Amino acid sequence: MSLLEVNDVKIAYRMPGNDVHAVNDVSFSIDEGDNYGLVGESGCGKSTLAKSVLGLLDDNGEVREGSIEFDGRELLDLSEREWQSVRWEDIAYIPQSAMDSLDPVMTVGAQIRQAIRKHRDVSKAAANERVAEVFEMVGLDPDRTGDYPHQFSGGMRQRVTIAMALALDPDLLIADEPTTGLDVIVQDKIMDKLIEIQEETGSSLLMITHDVGVVAETCDEMSVLYGGKVMEQGATDRIFRSPTNPYTIGLKNAFPEVDEFDEQAISIPGSLPDLTEEPTGCVFRNRCPFATEECEDGHPPLTEAGGQLSACYHTDRSDELREKAADPETWGIDVRDERDRSGGVGDTILETRGLEKWFKQPQGILEDLRGEEPDYVKAVNGVDLSVREGEIVGVAGESGCGKSTLAEVIAALQERTGGEILIEGTPVDELLGESTKEFRSQVQFIFQDPFDSLNPRQRVRAAVGEPLKIQGHDPETIERRVRETIEDVGLKPAGKYLDQLPTQLSGGERQRVAIAQALVLEPKLLICDEPASMLDVSLKANILNILREKADERDIGVVYISHDLASLTQIADRLAVMYLGRIAEIGDTTDVITAPKHPYTASLLSASPKTDPDVDRQRVLLPGEPPNPVNLPEGCNFAPRCPKADETCRGEEPTRSTFVDDDHEAACYHPVKDVESELLERYAAAREEEVGEVVAEELTL
Amino acid sequence: MIAALLTLIAVSIIFATLRLLPADPFSALVASGSLTPAEVEQIRAMYGLDDPIYVQYFRYIQNLFTFEFGISLTQQRPVGEIIIPALVNTLVLLLPALVVTAIISSLAGMYAGWNRGSWFEQSSIVVTTVFRATPIFVTGIFLLIIFSYGLGWLPAFGMRSSLANPQGYVETYVSVDFLKHYILPFTATVLFYSGDFLMLARNSVVERKGSEFLMLHRAKGLSEMEQLGRAGRNSLLPLVTYFALRTGMLFQGVITLEVVFAWPGIGRALVQAILNQDYPTVQAAVFIMALAVIVMNLTADLAYAKLDPTVEAGDV
Repeated sequence: MSLLEVNDVKIAYRMPGNDVHAVNDVSFSIDEGDNYGLVGESGCGKSTLAKSVLGLLDDNGEVREGSIEFDGRELLDLSEREWQSVRWEDIAYIPQSAMDSLDPVMTVGAQIRQAIRKHRDVSKAAANERVAEVFEMVGLDPDRTGDYPHQFSGGMRQRVTIAMALALDPDLLIADEPTTGLDVIVQDKIMDKLIEIQEETGSSLLMITHDVGVVAETCDEMSVLYGGKVMEQGATDRIFRSPTNPYTIGLKNAFPEVDEFDEQAISIPGSLPDLTEEPTGCVFRNRCPFATEECEDGHPPLTEAGGQLSACYHTDRSDELREKAADPETWGIDVRDERDRSGGVGDTILETRGLEKWFKQPQGILEDLRGEEPDYVKAVNGVDLSVREGEIVGVAGESGCGKSTLAEVIAALQERTGGEILIEGTPVDELLGESTKEFRSQVQFIFQDPFDSLNPRQRVRAAVGEPLKIQGHDPETIERRVRETIEDVGLKPAGKYLDQLPTQLSGGERQRVAIAQALVLEPKLLICDEPASMLDVSLKANILNILREKADERDIGVVYISHDLASLTQIADRLAVMYLGRIAEIGDTTDVITAPKHPYTASLLSASPKTDPDVDRQRVLLPGEPPNPVNLPEGCNFAPRCPKADETCRGEEPTRSTFVDDDHEAACYHPVKDVESELLERYAAAREEEVGEVVAEELTL
Repeated sequence: MIAALLTLIAVSIIFATLRLLPADPFSALVASGSLTPAEVEQIRAMYGLDDPIYVQYFRYIQNLFTFEFGISLTQQRPVGEIIIPALVNTLVLLLPALVVTAIISSLAGMYAGWNRGSWFEQSSIVVTTVFRATPIFVTGIFLLIIFSYGLGWLPAFGMRSSLANPQGYVETYVSVDFLKHYILPFTATVLFYSGDFLMLARNSVVERKGSEFLMLHRAKGLSEMEQLGRAGRNSLLPLVTYFALRTGMLFQGVITLEVVFAWPGIGRALVQAILNQDYPTVQAAVFIMALAVIVMNLTADLAYAKLDPTVEAGDV
């Protein structure tokens, strides 16, 4: 018998006006010790399902039909009191955003102890012992149980929540996007830890995520959800090897992989179905290129197709569909002419020389009076970067490496503290001195979050027209150029969008409005700070395509900041990798990706999950965390974490031209030749040793 | 450091303002013919009022910091003797009332916020808002009309019966007679301030309610009340701030309340002193009030550091 059985569950949220049918007739089951994945984009109902298993639905949500059985016991009939004893004891939960999930005014140890003592009648001392134990299991220092959440980094907080989930040895762990918002290297370490512990304890895992790669690497079986329906269900490697449902095929195509260069990402056009009524036809039909009349007659039942279950009327043609789906034209996307790109690079637009942005650390009045030199956070520390016309330069790095600060300093949204910025050979101060307006029209910025960066009370017409108005154009020109630009970013016909408010637009449409806002002035330089990171996979590809197209057509230079290497490799001509305020490696995207020279770049690349179930990737267990940016180590910043570091590295900081091969430069004395043997195996070995030491210590005790 | 500076600025402003007033207490006596101008000069010299203004200022500052408030101009008694008992009377009335209302209303507010949309939430907001919106003397008058004049259960005026003549603080405040006089103004104050604490507590719990960490607490199997406890603990900051600031202002008393109930508190004493142009008394009263506000602000900051682990004591 399975541990968890979800049968024909329907969940709806009561909303003023209509109910939202978030989950419709979903069934799946998890066996003991299994890893199960629920994959889907935002709004597909995956988190709602997870919450219903724990009885944690919001007050306006209810399970209308179906049953959820855990270990043979019907969970939906439980009283609140009975729920309280099931929660954590039997089913534990790893929340999505570790940043906000811990009680800020309680020590982390006390929070875990609270979970233990709620369910077990143990003394405080015994509970504390268990807390220290689980802390060690997840690789945290047991001496830190008395610290408050804000004293931990994001990755460490996620470890705390995992430790908390393990405290009572639950039979089922539900992980709701446990690594969203974390950097790839941290993500890789956390996933590794989670799987390792779960295998040790023998508990089952329900993994909820939008990241196809994470599921492909961790789960045995999975369901793909869309619009509250299961689209495809079965063994993970089967589904990824030969998906039979058009949605799964589309999702897999849209998911960018680090080593797919220049291949146009294939987005899924359209937006999510309206769930205010129970679906009458296939939920995917309005976005599906293969939809026929048949698809209108109710959502297709899950049927056997090539070893897995798929909800599609056309599973018999799945081979054919897969082939067609690989062609962007099938999805109504114009194919970009790749030949255009090579000759498109022109004069240098942006050049920075030794650019610096240091933030002064606050210090007491007394230290000030004594004339002590304050500490600085060197967010950007001597960066040389150049961008030419029609070129996209990607800047990659983990959070806190200074990439966003770099973007804002280049756009003169923040004062720099040193170095020079030249726009077409003219220093930026001169340009600003002449005319701020002129400068702003040439350099435009696209922000990360399309939900915050648009004024909610401004209609699209006004939002896109505002920059033109500031520049003093007449109303006719404004209207004409607004229409042109809106259609240019793919919002066609423009008339349909002009009078809409941001709230009436989907996330992808909003970000396109933001792009139109930036493009309407025909800037020479466009700076994008993670413009696609808040968007679902299928929309992300679309935004990338638009940016690439505009850069080619209009000869705009683009600086594209992102932590997502996969999307960078798709659009960037050149790639710079930043670590703690410095550029560690820069070069042609292909060179950097295929032959990374800096150990940090190599680790970053290897940490990206792969969707191909046949690839057996070695995890990147990069030891430690980036050092405190206030007290940077002597010598190379990466030396403390680098297995290849020697005395030279610790003594003197390597310049960027330490390794040079044409345009490809890396700040490393010992460029990487073989990633596998030089880095990954050594990381793993270092960890084994560490674990060995702990065991040995325990034995001697 | 900053607190001391603020106090100095505050008292300087008081000093300057009072000196800018057009008349002094003795001119009135000349006008009424009771004193000759020569006699007035003599009296002014006795009080040091003919010294240059900066000498007066330094003497004033020096005295303040040694808590030496001088002699009242109209009552010929040390100012301390007038102010301190009035202040104690006010505090005995208002401090317990504020503490009681802070605790009860905050708890009720948290409960209301947790059960959003319940009849308890709706009615508690309406009731406390009505009391908050009604001027305190109106509430006071209604209480008097009902319980004193109507039902005749409780006395209407003062702090003690006119016949009683207790000596010392203990005898004054620990007696059935005092308690009877105490109940009505106490109730009026509790009702008046209940709205502030209730709304503050409710709003911050509502804000916390959707937060991720409460969801995790719930997932851990905590009961409703335990979850509410955590939400409440996380809502303490605004409440403590407001409590501290309110307490700072208590030293001014609630003048209208003291008038309605004929309570011999500091608010009434201050109004009297201003009317009589009794500089030393006014200065002393205002000084105590300013000092109280500043001290309570500092207390709030220190409480922050204790309550919120992200604020370090050094930041205060």
